[in-house]
Amino acid sequence: MASQEITSKNLFSVSAAPVWHCGRTVRSTMLHSLLALLPAAIMAVYRYGYDAIAVIAWAGLAAVVTEFLMEKWMERESTADDFTALFDGVVFAFLLPSTAPIWLVVIGSSLTIVLGRMVFGGFGGSPICAPAVGWAIMTVSWPEFMDLNAMLLNWDLVEPLSDLKYFGVEAITDISYTSLLFGQNLGALGASQVLLIAVGGIYLLATRQLRWFIPISFLAGVYLTGLIYNIIDPTLYASPLFHLLSGGTMLAAFFLMPYPSSSPTWKLPMLLFGFLGGALLIIIRTYGIYPDGTCFAVLLINLCTPLIDLIQPKPFGGR
Amino acid sequence: MMKIRLNTSTVLQGSLQDIPVPTRVRIPLQEKHKSVVKKKQIVGCGQVIAEISSKSAYNLGFVHSSINGMVEDILPDAIIVGPIPAPKEGEEAPVPARTEPCAELDTLAGEELCRKLLELGVTTSGMHATRTVIVNGLNPEPGMIASEHLLESASETLKAGIQLLERALKPGSIKLVIANGRQFTVHGCTTITASDVYPATIDPLVIYAATGAERPDNVDILSVVDLYHIGRVAETKLPFTQSVVSVKDKVFCVPVGTAVEDLLTAAAVSIGPDKIVTLGGPMRGASIFDMAIGIDKSCSAITMVDVGQFPPVQPNPCINCGECVLACPARIHPGMLSRYAEFEMFDEARSHHVEACLECGMCTFVCPANRPVLQYLLLAKAALIAQDEEVAACRLQDL
Repeated sequence: MASQEITSKNLFSVSAAPVWHCGRTVRSTMLHSLLALLPAAIMAVYRYGYDAIAVIAWAGLAAVVTEFLMEKWMERESTADDFTALFDGVVFAFLLPSTAPIWLVVIGSSLTIVLGRMVFGGFGGSPICAPAVGWAIMTVSWPEFMDLNAMLLNWDLVEPLSDLKYFGVEAITDISYTSLLFGQNLGALGASQVLLIAVGGIYLLATRQLRWFIPISFLAGVYLTGLIYNIIDPTLYASPLFHLLSGGTMLAAFFLMPYPSSSPTWKLPMLLFGFLGGALLIIIRTYGIYPDGTCFAVLLINLCTPLIDLIQPKPFGGR
Repeated sequence: MMKIRLNTSTVLQGSLQDIPVPTRVRIPLQEKHKSVVKKKQIVGCGQVIAEISSKSAYNLGFVHSSINGMVEDILPDAIIVGPIPAPKEGEEAPVPARTEPCAELDTLAGEELCRKLLELGVTTSGMHATRTVIVNGLNPEPGMIASEHLLESASETLKAGIQLLERALKPGSIKLVIANGRQFTVHGCTTITASDVYPATIDPLVIYAATGAERPDNVDILSVVDLYHIGRVAETKLPFTQSVVSVKDKVFCVPVGTAVEDLLTAAAVSIGPDKIVTLGGPMRGASIFDMAIGIDKSCSAITMVDVGQFPPVQPNPCINCGECVLACPARIHPGMLSRYAEFEMFDEARSHHVEACLECGMCTFVCPANRPVLQYLLLAKAALIAQDEEVAACRLQDL
């Protein structure tokens, strides 16, 4: 019969519904994110020279190689081609002082992957933001090598948050907001390029790779909490704008807080998560022993994610 | 890659086109249908070939032959009607029976009319007397254009369909939902406008747009294509044995059971194994591997997609990004539910409201990990139904 002949001749491929897809993949998202980090990386190289290139490159390399080895050991297919490991490594590098020794960069970047991701089953499984984990381990283990002021003695500049911590509000009165915006003070390699990090973040928002809920509510949380302290006593607590533009606030808002697996998924929880994270950042900076508490704030609020994510709407037609 | 738009409303071109009557049709059957013809039997266009044994007025419609021909084969899911063989020497050519118009259609009303409609091939299983009836006048999915085409070109038939429905169901009111900014009316319907962006065009969300209630239990919904079927039955008093199917930007009226390849040939669309072809739209349509499959009465579009145009769906791990949650119109967590289904934790899936899923496919559409999220959800739903049936069977044994 004619129909049977045709059947044996060409069978068509089938696919489960829907046959359309928005075209976004983990790989494309990560490529966009890396592109968003690029301007800040270039600025870091311009400011800190070859050291910055070395730190970023070693961090990226160590992350990708560690992930590859771990996946080999776990007998899994390598996922190096989706660039998630590279992204984590680069973000981790952005949190380091540019003169960090290579052994520190390699160990930190490997631990970012191992303890931040692979122990939880790989990208997407970790309940905490991987680069923040790497930074926290390094800061606790080798505080002298992570101290931005001590590591960057070659430069005749100051680290605004350390100044605020150890010398009070008067010490930072002559630091202008524009200099903070353009990263003209000492700071972590990439995180201090505040304007360019924000540009990258806005690029991600504009291309809809990133939703606005967490970044905006995080910045609002930082600003409002900072404002409250500032109103209580302006001579003791820095202005909220200073907090927004210093340390790792911007990097946290656009890259650490919205880390996919460690942030909530519903709308209201995302807003709450961002806002509480921002508030926590100011609280840690005010009362903590470290000058910049960004990553600690991110890690702590990550731990609250499952709790916050319990706030769910009723399903459609639910009574 | 081109940007995908999920708007479904389109500006219409051309008119309803017929195709050359195919020599062989493969008329799909549902599980409940019972064949009433024998192999080699000569059947006429409009003759009943499969019926429903239940006497209820609200059930699946009977199946009629859509061409004059001879029954070639009876399969569990289809009846194949082929050409009448040439008569032998000295014999008279067999004449297929002519179906007479059903004269009493004008006089019947209420449940009797529903029963008659069912015998004329109209599926009445979703209808109930005295409820609000909503006609979904939105194109259901992007690329499916039959609904708005019929609203524009066949308003007289639709009016006849509405009048028949009024007699059969005595509905409280009939509402027509159309896309924002469009100007369609059908005599006897209150017109309501709603968003035309998928998934707002699927039935439960159209009901919500029309009534403001989620899953109300006093509303029936039917599509414009369904209404057109009823309208054609009302006009001709004969069973309507054709499907209205859109292919790309044209709309065709084809005999039920026409092979997909016959329609595509008539539409001058070339296909090969480098295409994925689905019956239905791009979001909910079922893809087919064999182009000889017959077009069902309820199928209103054929969609083609190039292999490799979209990233392939694979059982990748969920990355917890939450895109599916933001896209889901049912306000459930498809990502989490898909993982429950993946690891066969069906009771967990139930406690997280998997049954609220509207099966729109947006979760799979947006998933950056390319997981088959909807399939996992469907798996969980099917497994839960099977589980419930098993429990019910056990209870019956205990009694």
